[in-house]
Amino acid sequence: MTARRHSAGGEQEFAEERASLVRITFGPLIWAMHFLLSYAGAAVFCAKFPHASEHLDLLVWGIGLATLVALAGIAWQGQRSFHQWRKGNEDSLIEEDADGSSEDRHQFLGHAALLLAVISAVGVIYTALPAFLTATCR
Amino acid sequence: MSGCEGPQSVFRTGGSDAAQLEHLFLVMLAGAVVLWLGINGLFYYASRVSARPVSRARVEALILGGGVGLPVVVLTALLVYGLSIMPDQRAPGDGLRLRVTGEQFWWRVEYWPEGAEAPVVSANEVRLPVGRRTEIELAATDVIHSFWLPALGGKTDLIPGRVNRMSLEPTEVGTWRGQCAEFCGLSHALMAFQAITLEEAEFGAWLAREAQGLAPEARTAEGYAIFTAQGCGGCHALRGTEARGTVGPDLTHVGGRATLAAGILPMTADALTDWIRDPAAFKPGVEMPGYDHMDPDELATLALWLEGLR
Repeated sequence: MTARRHSAGGEQEFAEERASLVRITFGPLIWAMHFLLSYAGAAVFCAKFPHASEHLDLLVWGIGLATLVALAGIAWQGQRSFHQWRKGNEDSLIEEDADGSSEDRHQFLGHAALLLAVISAVGVIYTALPAFLTATCR
Repeated sequence: MSGCEGPQSVFRTGGSDAAQLEHLFLVMLAGAVVLWLGINGLFYYASRVSARPVSRARVEALILGGGVGLPVVVLTALLVYGLSIMPDQRAPGDGLRLRVTGEQFWWRVEYWPEGAEAPVVSANEVRLPVGRRTEIELAATDVIHSFWLPALGGKTDLIPGRVNRMSLEPTEVGTWRGQCAEFCGLSHALMAFQAITLEEAEFGAWLAREAQGLAPEARTAEGYAIFTAQGCGGCHALRGTEARGTVGPDLTHVGGRATLAAGILPMTADALTDWIRDPAAFKPGVEMPGYDHMDPDELATLALWLEGLR
């Protein structure tokens, strides 16, 4: 028998679930902002200094810093989602209980948010790799 | 495997960039074969060799490991490898610069040796020195085209309103074939070109010859009078003469090229005759009008004269 945290039901439960529904978008949102910042930053930089290889370090370090910040945000979001998913669901790595209770829905949202955080982290790293491996405006 | 040979093949490389791309392809192919064998091997094992229920923990480990972990590791490794060879592919040239402009349906080619103030203009053929990295600027005036020389490197688009850059480093003397690789209109498939790679000294001598205007003896020939009378100079240039048209290819040394009409006809007097009489018969949609009103003897004289412009 799993614990029922939402025994109060009603308004409070709805508000809490709405918050966790919004939270599952955080990972992809951070990924999107990092992507926009990296590509727009590189485009503007290379348009302003097309031949300035000595300034290129600035761009690479800027993207590196943005990547660290983005990964930290995603990691924070990921571990919150992990706890939301695992609490009362310790026996399986893949599936939450499927009783259709509000607690199951809560766990499901945590699981979805965690998976989105993982793919967002991979996306952020792949977005940043060209800056470090090619590092040219050509 | 004869389909992999020939002057226009990614498997018969004559340059360092193409060799790198061939290696990339082989690495990808080997990886794909390993994955294919692994996945089908697992299918076979699970359905034929050991078709029995497995524990939940094992299934979860398989899904997370094989479905999430393994693809991330494999794709990251391939991405890092692919990105690591990009700087070589985009390295700057070390002297000579070419500017290739795509036209419907031919290539305007300008050679800018280091420090030059004006280009040496040619068309439908690129010559490159072996052992040097030549920078190639790619532009277009009408529609999008793509410059593709499989034996020497990857393809790069020519886009109206912008200049794209690539560089090629041939490692072997030879004659190669290139092709427009982006649909550009009716005769897109007939927009090819020759690439001739030469030893550096030989290239230098060729470029010096190519830079000269029309030979004085060519100007006194009957062919020149016919060329002028027919108004060919309105579209074609013969450097050093009144013919300064830039609509069509520069013809100052047209006979020195290996092919006619952007890689589709041999450079012979007969082919020139047929081409001038009715270009659209060979290249639908071509801008050059037919000269079928010309006296056949005059046309033959003109063709023979053009073929002699080396």
